Amino acid sequence: MQRRTFIKTGLSASAMLAAGPALAEWVPRRPINAILPYSAGGGTDALARAAAASADGILPVPLVIVNKPGSSGITGATEAAAARPDGNTVMVTSAGSFLLTSMLRDTDVNPFDSFETIAQIGNLTPAVIVPANSPFQSVQDLVDAARDAPGALRWAHNGRGGFHQVAGQSFLDRNELVAQDVPFKGGGPTRAAVIGEQVDFAFVGIQQAAGFENELRVLALAAPERDAIRNDVPTLAELGFDYVAVSSPIVFFAPKGTDPEVVSGMEAALKAITETDQFAALMRERGNVPAFLGGADTTARLRQMQQETQPVIDALKSQG
Amino acid sequence: MDIFVGLASVLSDPVLLGWVFLAAIVGMIVGAIPGLTASAAIAMLLPLTFYMEPLPALAFLYVIGKSGRYGGSIAAILFNTPGTAASAATQLDGYPLAQRGMAGKAMKVATISSVIGDFVGEILLILGVAWIASIALRLGPPELFAVYFAAFIVIGSVIGKSVTRGLASAALGILVAMIGLDPISSTERFTFGSFDLTNGISLVPLMIGIFVLGEVFTQIESRGAKTEMVANDQGDAARNRLSWAEYKPCLPHVIRSSFIGAFIGMLPGLGSAIAAFVAYGEGKRRAKNPEAWGSGALEGIAAPEAANNAVSGPSMAPLLTLGIPGSTIGAILIGVFLIHGIQIGPTMFLTSRDLVFALFACGLIGIVMYGVIGYFGAAFVGRFITRIPTHVLYPIIFLTSFVAAYTSRGNLFDVYVMVAAGFAGWAMRKLHFNPAAFVISFVLAGGAEETFRQTMLMSDNGMMIFVTRPIALVFLLIGIAAMAARVRSVNRQARALAAGTSG
Repeated sequence: MQRRTFIKTGLSASAMLAAGPALAEWVPRRPINAILPYSAGGGTDALARAAAASADGILPVPLVIVNKPGSSGITGATEAAAARPDGNTVMVTSAGSFLLTSMLRDTDVNPFDSFETIAQIGNLTPAVIVPANSPFQSVQDLVDAARDAPGALRWAHNGRGGFHQVAGQSFLDRNELVAQDVPFKGGGPTRAAVIGEQVDFAFVGIQQAAGFENELRVLALAAPERDAIRNDVPTLAELGFDYVAVSSPIVFFAPKGTDPEVVSGMEAALKAITETDQFAALMRERGNVPAFLGGADTTARLRQMQQETQPVIDALKSQG
Repeated sequence: MDIFVGLASVLSDPVLLGWVFLAAIVGMIVGAIPGLTASAAIAMLLPLTFYMEPLPALAFLYVIGKSGRYGGSIAAILFNTPGTAASAATQLDGYPLAQRGMAGKAMKVATISSVIGDFVGEILLILGVAWIASIALRLGPPELFAVYFAAFIVIGSVIGKSVTRGLASAALGILVAMIGLDPISSTERFTFGSFDLTNGISLVPLMIGIFVLGEVFTQIESRGAKTEMVANDQGDAARNRLSWAEYKPCLPHVIRSSFIGAFIGMLPGLGSAIAAFVAYGEGKRRAKNPEAWGSGALEGIAAPEAANNAVSGPSMAPLLTLGIPGSTIGAILIGVFLIHGIQIGPTMFLTSRDLVFALFACGLIGIVMYGVIGYFGAAFVGRFITRIPTHVLYPIIFLTSFVAAYTSRGNLFDVYVMVAAGFAGWAMRKLHFNPAAFVISFVLAGGAEETFRQTMLMSDNGMMIFVTRPIALVFLLIGIAAMAARVRSVNRQARALAAGTSG
């Protein structure tokens, strides 16, 4: 709390000196529009809005989240990439989904050539969920059932080419399982399909399970480490199942050509935002935790994910 | 009863009441401006609410959603242009009335019907929020598809003289709805390599083009023999007075439509536009005077207006308890809950019960407020607008439609879509195709396709899944039966006509 007050004082005194030296040289004068290429109410939206709400006092201008949904996030990304690179327009997106979509479809924009990476503020990790009444008590039960009757199980995700689908499909592929996927539009409807027992299981963000403890059972997390909040959920690796770590960092991007000073100023501001108590509290309410990563590290992480998912993407492409 | 506690606490908070009042006015204004929908306004005002307490913030946006759905009827009646997608059905009868100088009366009917519909929806929500949520949960893709299928019948009720042209218009609507990304495989369809088309065609510019620009072009063409919108100022007040005898026949339609709207509100993803069309279709089917519908029947305004507002309340149930938005506005409201750190889900009624019922109370108060403002204000606006000569009015409408098409998403491509749709709408009128059938099938096709293909992926033996799901089966049979009845009545009419001409 003390630090936050300190930042606030520093800010009002002289242009955010407290947040870091780079900030001193970049003083936004107009509200910053952060294009969010998904509709309001989704997982990415929740985290981005938590950041925007916590920016009060760190940025001298409002950080406004502008939802520009369409075409699996490419509509907003295209608009953000074409925006004037003056720091007044940035994009905040689920970078894993953005990367995979740009790999899967011939899009005009991609995370590396069209944008400067500012920073990562959080993470979305896929988990295997089943309805509360499901006979599957563990991933092993699920795998056994899928082996006994290949193709009989139905599983939901929030759209083909998204990171949940790639995570789920690569888990099935690596374990030589066959199950039929049923795409839904977005996380909420996917979760509802599981609760309503329309499908046998689903790959959704672990955060989607928050508040639905009595309706859903989380079998495993598809990540190298346990979730900071739901640390009762084992990882697929712990359970001895092969998988590909596909997750999605929530990343702020600036249009290519944005002044490096502006980018590093924003990076510092985002770092300060992720360190506020308010952001941590908001993230916790969303079943998540802040996870700041600087611009360079974020880019490296996305590059690595690009290499690791290439085989899955190629397989998806050849299936048409 | 939690709701009385909620009402008491809301009524004793003047600041909160102020927000609700403001929301009622803002919603009416944005709803009445063609193209500027309530959901767009809510998205724009969302940042403002971050600085507010949770309850005023939610109440403000919730009531804007309600009064915006109502406000759409004002533009539909006055300019033959739906202020929101939900009021597209209202214009079918509202505009003919306005042309006869009875805009004020039409708007009074719209106001009363919206208020009743909204109240029914809100009361159902308050009484049965948990029950509604449990129903919504049981309805998977097969059931939703069956509802879409049944909803397609409404096209039959707007089809005019030529059945062939009506069906062709509907088919064209489905074709246009296919443009964009495939809902299942996410591959591009009919995009011809154009990036803008991967998004598909948006409803708002399409609708403004077909209905508004198409209308303007038609007016330009018939400049010599143009139809004057109003006769004179004499007797204006008398024409626009609404008597109980006039509203009484509307009442059964309002009640039925309220329940149709409430039911559709429970289903995720269908939304108020579909509710309005289904209510209109069902109303016309059951009406004693179906021939009057489409040329200025008061019932034809009452039915869709009651339905589109009745969606508002029940759509909150799946939203609050399951996190599935029943409408665009619902999706934005989820964001507001998140921002204010209120966990959506079944536990919400344990953790934030007071807040939820206070919000429902604000909804009730908001309905009363927009109802009162609308009843007295809209008549005044109607009198004023009808005194504007057509050679001034149409250029203004022409201009507004460009602004509206652009502002709905801030995308220039939408303006091109609107212009193209405008020429298409004009050509359709000229060649006696059916613009309403085109737009309805466009609205329904996307959801119908998605749910049908999800169903097929879920099914082990193709279409047989519908037989094993009783709710789905019932709706499919309703659809088939209604279609059969429709075909029979069309045949009978054709025979009667043939007999009439020969004898």
